[in-house]
Amino acid sequence: MQDKYIRLAHGNGGRLMRELIDSLISPYLPKDLDTTLDASPVPVRSGMEMLMSTDSFTVQPLFFPGGNIGHLAVHGTVNDLAVSGAEPSHLTLNLVLEEGLAASELEIVMAGFAEAANAAGVKVCAGDTKVVPKGQGSGIYMVTTGIGWKSPELELSMHCIQAGDKIVVSGSVGDHGIAVMMAREQFGLSGDVKSDAACVLPFTRVGRDISGVRFMRDPTRGGVATVLHELQITTELGIEIDESAVPVKPAVRSVCDLLGYDPYYLACEGRVVAVVAAEHAEALVAQWRALPDGQEAAIIGEFVAAQDGVWLNTPLGGQRYLEQLEDEPLPRIC
Amino acid sequence: MKNITEAKKWMHKIKELDLPDTPIRIMNVCGGHERSITHAGLRGVLPEQVELVPGPGCPVCVCPEEDVYAAIQVSLNHDVTLVAFGDMLRVPVNVPRSQARSLEEAKAKGADIRPIASPMEAVAIADANPNRTVVFFAAGFETTMAPVAAMLAFEERPNLKVLISGRLTWPAVALLLDSDSPGFDCLVAPGHVATVMGGDEWRFVAEKHKLPAAVAGFEPDSLLAAFYSTLRQFTEGSAFLDNCYQELVTDEGNQPAQSIMQRVFKVTDANWRGIGIIPQSGFELAEAYQHLDARNDYPAYHEEARQKAGENPPGCDCAQVVLAKIRPNECRLYGKACTPRTPYGPCMVSDEGACRIWWAGGLR
Repeated sequence: MQDKYIRLAHGNGGRLMRELIDSLISPYLPKDLDTTLDASPVPVRSGMEMLMSTDSFTVQPLFFPGGNIGHLAVHGTVNDLAVSGAEPSHLTLNLVLEEGLAASELEIVMAGFAEAANAAGVKVCAGDTKVVPKGQGSGIYMVTTGIGWKSPELELSMHCIQAGDKIVVSGSVGDHGIAVMMAREQFGLSGDVKSDAACVLPFTRVGRDISGVRFMRDPTRGGVATVLHELQITTELGIEIDESAVPVKPAVRSVCDLLGYDPYYLACEGRVVAVVAAEHAEALVAQWRALPDGQEAAIIGEFVAAQDGVWLNTPLGGQRYLEQLEDEPLPRIC
Repeated sequence: MKNITEAKKWMHKIKELDLPDTPIRIMNVCGGHERSITHAGLRGVLPEQVELVPGPGCPVCVCPEEDVYAAIQVSLNHDVTLVAFGDMLRVPVNVPRSQARSLEEAKAKGADIRPIASPMEAVAIADANPNRTVVFFAAGFETTMAPVAAMLAFEERPNLKVLISGRLTWPAVALLLDSDSPGFDCLVAPGHVATVMGGDEWRFVAEKHKLPAAVAGFEPDSLLAAFYSTLRQFTEGSAFLDNCYQELVTDEGNQPAQSIMQRVFKVTDANWRGIGIIPQSGFELAEAYQHLDARNDYPAYHEEARQKAGENPPGCDCAQVVLAKIRPNECRLYGKACTPRTPYGPCMVSDEGACRIWWAGGLR
């Protein structure tokens, strides 16, 4: 592409748009993708249920330690399919580009997208690109819709959960939230916190194969606390979390202490929260710990019949309620 | 987990004290302390006659209603960018529903309002917008006012003005101690304030009023050490100021910071929301810095006719909570008309506010 920056004309459907797609987008999509078609065939896997999920991505900044918006656009949708028990196969990709975006930035984002899509084993089968006038977007917005295939025998549902079931996380919580916050440089803090952005398929494949796993969810916006509240409200059981068992990286803990944040509310982009029958919990943790990025997997709590709400048992023997996230976390004043 | 081991040691020592059966009230004067206490569940691990009482420790909660109102009006009626610490944005003022009741609502009505986390962000915004006036609504205790003073002393900008609403902590405690019923038996003094202003500021509690006192940090081990110290003093009938935050707190405090504050500010009588004027408890700009005071550039917006101006909303007990006369869950509105989602009084807004902390921690 000759232009170094995206122009409105790159979205006009004409020669410039073709140039944009050929030089910056197609090279990062499957080689056998026919970009001249209006619609693509997707082969049906017989005997399987087809699952669909969709997500939009507006993260600021576009680049952060551990990934960029391109990685997120794959993981967000693929992970939603994965925790639902599916094996993802196809993705659609919609790009909304802002006039003035550097072509080099788009290229890095597309490379991130391709890297994540290849790692997850998903193929892009359809897509669309629009350009909006400067000031009407924030660089790049991405939307992906995914298709995955799930065995009809596999039942994962909040409604299967019983008192006594254990809650397991696949790794440390809050890394993505803090990494993005630090990348914004809003607080003049620096550190080596990397986003946990990753495909969770290796974890959910293990979860699918262990009987006794009742439910899986990836804790994104609102963090682990929000998943726990949804579980609590739906099951009408109480939840007790052992605070000292929740894996939190020391650097994440430090930033949280400094700014008055609770790591339980911070977004993760590559973790799984699973609910599993007590007798299978150790097996799940052991198999997750054997995976790359799974060393910190841990049982963090359990469902109880006697208590209402989500409670944290503190290391000193006290207890506190984990409230539902109310508003955007604000830094405290003194 | 050194802190946990240390904390358990202090818990054990507290249990071994020969405490009287009558209630012993330990008051803190820092939202950070209240937050750490609630987060670590410390109320549940102390002997039952020990009551941990939140006191005047939330700058957002005592920031005068008329100051918030003025900030809202400046942001709406003048061509400025108003910056404020994040938790000031949702503090409600007493105006009809049709008007902006908080800075957040003013923002939704089109005012240019930006939350910041440190004074240097205000400077950065002023530098990025050299042709625009930036008004920094600076509310806070000594810990916040020290960096505000440094900003004014070293980073003056022609387009950066301040709306100062700073308060000193100890005069509110002195007010309680000078009253007939202080409402507490022991004091845990604020570690961050003492880091800046020095531990000596709090000696009057023990020396003049004969109440046990200890400066504490923000980890459970430091707080439990302070509880132990004051409880032991209480049982032994002694009273002195202990320092349980020796990592950071000295008797004199941070003297360079204090001298900058003395240069930039003068201490005056000041209004505390719902409480009234407390002598020598507020910061205002010294003569040499008057040219940076936004109050000189805009109308005062002190409207006598405005209903409930300067007060808490009707039925709101925030002032009683701040003065440790009642606990958050004794307010009739707590968790009913007043929740974190729809805060009615200022103590439900900030993460430093006792009502917000108690509600979030599940205290009902």
